[in-house]
Amino acid sequence: MDRVPILKIGPVLLVSIQVDMQDQVALQLQEDLGERIVATGAKGVIIDITGLDIVDSFVGRTLSTIASISRVLDAETIVVGMRPAVAITLVELGLSLNGIRTALNVERGMELLSRSTEPDSPDEFDLDLDDLSETTSP
Amino acid sequence: MTETVLLQLALRREQDVFTLRQRGREAATALGLEHQDQIRLATALSDVGRVLLARAPAVEVVFRVCRHPDRLRIDLAVDGSVERGPLQPAGRLVDGLEVVEHGKRTVVMLSRRLPVTGALTELRVDELRRALGMTAVASPLDELATQNEHLLAALEDVRRQRDRLTVLNDELEETNRGVMALYHQLNSELEETNRGVVALYAELDEKSSQLRAASEAKTRFLANVSHELRAPVTSVIGLIRMLSDPSSDPLTPAQQEQIELMRGSTSDLLTLVNDLLDLAKAESGRLQPDWQTVSLDRLFRQLRGTVRAILTNPDVELIVDEPGEDAWIESDEALLSQVLRNLLHNAVKFTEHGHVALHVRSDERNWMFTVADTGSGIPADEQERIFEEFVQLPSRHKVLGTGLGLPYARRLTGILGGSMDLDSQPGRGSEFTVTLPLVRQA
Repeated sequence: MDRVPILKIGPVLLVSIQVDMQDQVALQLQEDLGERIVATGAKGVIIDITGLDIVDSFVGRTLSTIASISRVLDAETIVVGMRPAVAITLVELGLSLNGIRTALNVERGMELLSRSTEPDSPDEFDLDLDDLSETTSP
Repeated sequence: MTETVLLQLALRREQDVFTLRQRGREAATALGLEHQDQIRLATALSDVGRVLLARAPAVEVVFRVCRHPDRLRIDLAVDGSVERGPLQPAGRLVDGLEVVEHGKRTVVMLSRRLPVTGALTELRVDELRRALGMTAVASPLDELATQNEHLLAALEDVRRQRDRLTVLNDELEETNRGVMALYHQLNSELEETNRGVVALYAELDEKSSQLRAASEAKTRFLANVSHELRAPVTSVIGLIRMLSDPSSDPLTPAQQEQIELMRGSTSDLLTLVNDLLDLAKAESGRLQPDWQTVSLDRLFRQLRGTVRAILTNPDVELIVDEPGEDAWIESDEALLSQVLRNLLHNAVKFTEHGHVALHVRSDERNWMFTVADTGSGIPADEQERIFEEFVQLPSRHKVLGTGLGLPYARRLTGILGGSMDLDSQPGRGSEFTVTLPLVRQA
C-alpha cells in the first residue's frame, strides 16, 4: 500500500500529497503523522494538496481529523496549495473543514506558522471558512 | 431518445469508490467537460458511491450518454431503500440527482449536461465506450477482485467438500461402531455356546465314568454270583449222581423219572453259571490270551468232531473246510476254539433243515472264519440285539439256551484283536464272519 511521505523541515513537518489518495492511504497518513509529531516534537504541520484534484467529503473529514489530532498533540496544521476547482467543489458540497487553517502555498504557510509559534503572538485557531474563502480567490 | 451505455462497473469495497471517481473523471474528460465540472462530477460520484456502499454490499454503476439534450447519466443501483438526506450535498455538484425506487431496488441517477460545442457523433461515443471498456478490463483492481471471488468460491467449495467428508466420516464411524457391537455380541454368544459345550463335555465325561463304574459293578456282581452259585450246583449234581447210582437204594420208577428231570435242570443251571462266569471274566479284562501258533487244520478237525457229536438232526448237514497242513494263525487256541464252537452250536441249535458250514479264507493280513447256516435268519432291526446278554429273539424261545453264547463269542473275538460281523435275512439263514489278524497286533 502506498504511503504519503512526511518530510521534516526545521520545526515543521511537510506532507505533500501528489496524487488522488485512496481511503486507506488517507487513514494511514492520519496515523503516520500523529506518530511523527510525537517523535519529532514538531510544532507545525503543512499539508500540501497541490496534487489533489478530488476532495470529497471523506477526504475533507480526514483532513479535519488530522488537524484536530495535531492540535491535541500541540502542533498547528495548515493546508496549502488547494486548487480553485477543489475549493469550489468543497464549498458547493457544503464541507466546512473545521479547524483547518489554510494558506495559498508552502511559503505562506511557513510564514503563518512561524508567526503563530512566536511567543506572545495571539492564537488564531478558528479562522475556518474565513480563511477558506480567502484562499479561494487567488 | 437514444442512450448509449459507456461503461458498467460494480462497487464492493472502499477501493472501488476510488476507481469509480477515477472513471467518472476520465469519462467527463473524454466527453469534453470543463475542468471544474470534471472535479464536481468525480467528487459527487465519490460521495454518492460511499453513501450507497455504506448501506448495501454491492452497488452497480452504469455510465450512459443520453441525447437531446446531450448529457452524461450515471445510474447507481442498490438493493433496498436509500435515505435521500446524505445524498443532497452531492446533488449540488451535478445538474440533476434523482432517486427512483423500482420494487426492492433503488437507483440513484446523476446527470450532467454535456457542452454543445463538442460534436458528439455516434462514432465518437462508440470510440469512447471502447476506450473506457479497455481501461476497465485492464484495471488490476478489478482483476484482483475477480480472482478474489474465484478464490472465495474455491474456498467455499473446499469447505463444502470437507463438510461432506466429515459427514461421511461420521457415518463410517457409526457403521464401524455397529459392526464392532455386532462383533462383540457374536463373540459373547460364541463364548456362551462354548461354555455350554464345555459343560456338556464335562457332563458326558461324568456320565461315561458313571457308566463305566456301573458296568464294572455289574461284572463284579456277575462274577461273584456265578462263583457262589457254582459250588452248590456242583454239590447238587454230585448228590443226584449218588442217588441214581446202582449201588445205592433202589428208587421207584416215579422217583427215577424225577431224578432225571432234576439232573437235566441242574446241568442246564451249571452251563448257565459257567457261561456267566466266562462272560464276567472276559468283561473284567482279566482274561489274557495265551498267544501261540495255532494250526488251523488241527483246530478244524477238533471242531468237526465236537459239533458232529451234538448234531442230532439228520436233516442238517455239517460242512467244515479243510484249511490244509500249512494254514496257521497266531492266536489263543482255547479262546479261538471257544468262539467258533459257540457260533457253530448256535447255528446247529437254530437250523432245522439244510446245512451248517464253517468256511475259512484269508487275505494278506487277516483270516476270515465264516459260520453259515440255513436257519430261520434274523431280521435286520434285531441283528444288533442278539449280541446283548440274555437276549433271545421271540421266534427262538422254543430252543434251549442261556442267551450268553453270542455275547461271549463276540467279547472273546475282541480280546483276540478281531471283529465279528453278521449277515442275515429272515428265512434264508445267517452268516457270522469272524475276522482275525494273521499275526498278533501290537
